[in-house]
Amino acid sequence: MKKAHFNGLKRKTNEKGSYKKMKKNLIEFIDISKSYNGSLVLDEFNLYVRENEFVTLLGPSGCGKTTTLRLLGGFEKPDSGKILFDSKDITNLPANERKLNTVFQKYSLFPHMTIAENIAFGLKISKKSKAYIDDKIKYALKLVNLEGFENRSVDSLSGGQQQRIAIARAIVNEPKVLLLDEPLGALDLKLRQNMQYELMRLKEELGITFVYVTHDQEEALTMSDTIVVMNQGYIQQIGTPEDIYNEPKNAFVADFIGHSNILDGIMIEDRLVEILGVKMPCVDEGFGQNCPVDVVIRPEDVKLVEPGEGQMEGDITSIIFKGVHYEYDVMANGYEWLVHTTKYVPVNTHVGINVTPFNIQIMHKPESSDEEVVEIDE
Amino acid sequence: MVKKHASRLYLGLIFLFLYLPIIVLIVLSFNNSRSRVNWGGFTLEWYRKCFESQSIMSAFATTLQITLLAAVISTIIGTLAAIGISAMKRKSQTFYLGATNIPLLNADIVTGISMMLLFVKFMDLGFVTVLIAHITFNIPYVILNVLPKLKQTNPYTYEAALDLGASPLYAFFKVTWPEISSGVFSGFLMAVTMSLDDFSITYFTRGAGVNTLSTMLYAELKKGVKPELYALSTILFFTVLLLLIAANLHPEKTIAVPVKDEKAAKKAHTTYLCRRVASISIVAILLLGTTGVFLSSQHTKGGVRSITVLNYGKYYDEDKLAQFTEETGILVNYEEYEDPEEMYTKYKTGAIDYDVICTSDYIIEKLVSEDELLPMDYASIPNYAGIDPDIIDISASFDPDHCYTVPYFYGTLGILYNTNLVDAADVESWDVLWNGKYANDMIMIASVRDCFTPALRTLGYSINETDPEKLDEALNILLKQSPDVSAFFESETCDEMAAENYALALCYSGEAASAMDLNENLAYSVPIEGSNFWIDSWFIPQTCQDIDAVYEFLNYTCRDDVAMANFEYVYYASPVISVDENMDEELKENESLYRAVHPTEADVANCEVYRLLDDEMTELYNDLWARLKAN
Repeated sequence: MKKAHFNGLKRKTNEKGSYKKMKKNLIEFIDISKSYNGSLVLDEFNLYVRENEFVTLLGPSGCGKTTTLRLLGGFEKPDSGKILFDSKDITNLPANERKLNTVFQKYSLFPHMTIAENIAFGLKISKKSKAYIDDKIKYALKLVNLEGFENRSVDSLSGGQQQRIAIARAIVNEPKVLLLDEPLGALDLKLRQNMQYELMRLKEELGITFVYVTHDQEEALTMSDTIVVMNQGYIQQIGTPEDIYNEPKNAFVADFIGHSNILDGIMIEDRLVEILGVKMPCVDEGFGQNCPVDVVIRPEDVKLVEPGEGQMEGDITSIIFKGVHYEYDVMANGYEWLVHTTKYVPVNTHVGINVTPFNIQIMHKPESSDEEVVEIDE
Repeated sequence: MVKKHASRLYLGLIFLFLYLPIIVLIVLSFNNSRSRVNWGGFTLEWYRKCFESQSIMSAFATTLQITLLAAVISTIIGTLAAIGISAMKRKSQTFYLGATNIPLLNADIVTGISMMLLFVKFMDLGFVTVLIAHITFNIPYVILNVLPKLKQTNPYTYEAALDLGASPLYAFFKVTWPEISSGVFSGFLMAVTMSLDDFSITYFTRGAGVNTLSTMLYAELKKGVKPELYALSTILFFTVLLLLIAANLHPEKTIAVPVKDEKAAKKAHTTYLCRRVASISIVAILLLGTTGVFLSSQHTKGGVRSITVLNYGKYYDEDKLAQFTEETGILVNYEEYEDPEEMYTKYKTGAIDYDVICTSDYIIEKLVSEDELLPMDYASIPNYAGIDPDIIDISASFDPDHCYTVPYFYGTLGILYNTNLVDAADVESWDVLWNGKYANDMIMIASVRDCFTPALRTLGYSINETDPEKLDEALNILLKQSPDVSAFFESETCDEMAAENYALALCYSGEAASAMDLNENLAYSVPIEGSNFWIDSWFIPQTCQDIDAVYEFLNYTCRDDVAMANFEYVYYASPVISVDENMDEELKENESLYRAVHPTEADVANCEVYRLLDDEMTELYNDLWARLKAN
């Protein structure tokens, strides 16, 4: 890893190389900047989305993900830069002329129309025949598992049903891209999980591109082909869910994706890092000597061993049963370690801590203050 | 239990307090008596008269036109404004909303005056200026009704429509409109109500000949309460009430009904439909009514000569005005006023270009001194030859060179009394007002100079006295009298005396004649100490646009038959000699009545004409009046 790489990551998308070459680019954001009331929301933002991809824009609120989606939907105009769709410039194309459809965060069904009228709205505008429209309504309702709901009123539907109708209303128009702006945000956990599977199934059945916005990292990991982690208008990392989880590019990504132990460290030399006064072997090279770094260790990678057998020692301060595993807080060398393990150890036990070199993730410190890790407020 | 009754009583009192005045009005509108205190049985006569009156019906037509046009236009503008405001950022939203609400909070009279001042700069006051003014003050009401609806709508539905390929216009009408239409509708009804209700702003921005119901009511009420106005007010009250009910009936959008409860859903839908039908039909009736009245009252057409006439209220036979137009093809924009000082102010602001005006002697004296009048070419008024030369001579007191005026009516100030209650000998002297014989059974005129006239003449002073000491003496007489006075009336004297509610009244001759016509027990006298003699005359202001048409009008007015008709309409003394000659013999035989409609030579010789008071004296008189009223 080189210092210069961080610049590239944030300013320009040199990241393209790390994508696997699959299909052609359907959407391209080129040097998009956008600000509201003088505060910059997107700064020279670059991103492309390929055909048939399920791309998730992930980040805390205010990171610019919704703005990105609204720019794509045509509800906002960028201050500078352009957006290509199928290689055509659509930057100034009004929303109603874009070949993509959106499912909004809040329920956006037309309350004075029946379900069938809602679904038919777009088809009527494009002057489809009545038979075609009726067919499509049936098909779409079947697709979202709400057959027979044609004549129901919007008010009589639950939140999850409304969102499914919103999806049906969007997909009957056969858009090339479906934009989803936190569509499951208002639903309860169980319903949200069901809907996640439904969305994945839909994507398979329809074979269209999904651009999905969420702040829920678990949702992103479950559904996406590609995750774009964003913060303060910059892309922090682009990659598959596995890449993002296992190899976070910086402390922000590490902290945002799952729970992690993030510590200050000093790279003494290649493959040796000092954390909390303890020198620990690792697998990273090329940082030079005595270089300050951020160190990320996933809680499930911390092993609890008998005192004396570990790299450092501490006391268990709390224990929470999480179903599959226990979650421990271990106070060792002045740091409260987060540890996930299936082994039961009572509170106040004196334990040793061990981390294998492969599981220690070394990252450069951010260079300037605006790249610093911000507290995540979910 | 007691508590419950007490709270009911309290509630009842509140409602009584709120609605009693209106109930009184409604009851009076069915009262078969001109008096306000006597019940003369039930009648619909006033309603019939109300619908027969040309002036009421034309004011009604104007009102409906202005109200509906203003409401429709302001609803469109207001709705668009609300949409614009709702799309703004919060800060500018607060600012613009505040800015649009200022006219709501501003005193109507201030809005009215400032609009008048603005309009006068750019155009003539008239129908259009009233319309613009109404649109202006209606807009905030529409915005206030539409904006909350817009805020309730889900902003994503509009975007969702765009997203599904709808053009902005299509999206607005298909998606936003159904959600805000009830707000727009109640905004419209509010605008109608406000327009219908408005007086102050209309009063200041209207031009000659434009009268809405409210301004007409005001003008009419000042010249004396005609019971048909109670009827009109009652109709107006119920119209507004109906509109407000309609505005409130208009349903919120269909209430969320759980589908399993199909019956309730159906019921809700039915009531929804009923309400919708009800409110729509009310508006439809109003609209139809307007179109009907509008079509039947289309009068002003381009290319026709017209003059604008300003006159005291109830001072010209309306049929004769119509006849003038028939004979000459000249349209008459007929404007009325009640208070000469008010007329003077209105004329001086230049708000309306009048062609010919009729007013009192001392006001003309003031205007002559200000060089506001155009000299008359009496050769263009052949019928002027029929005017009594004696009256023309007396006119010299305010028109010294006699080149500005044509006398219209004249009369005296005297005592109207009930012969059953008052000894005729008593009213030969003003003493009857001061000696307490008819204490608490007499009424005075609510005007400073008219009250001072008997007092000054009793003391042997001129009615135009300017010596503060002598005026103080007169004030003392009036102060001593005031506990005996039942009331100071402006214009109710005629009706109250006709209803025999008081024994005697300080009264103008013409009003006395009208009362005597209604009740034969009444008589009129001008006390020997002398009184006020007054002449109302026509003059041509500098604003006159068509002086030849004015000459035609004045010639017509001086014509024997027209003068006779006006005499019979007004019952003041006419300076046209033939009127006296052709008068009903029966009338002439009734000495007291004849004295009221044609002052005797002795009366004329014994009386004085009011002279113009300078500003200092006016202030002194006002001060004396205040002291008298404070007592």
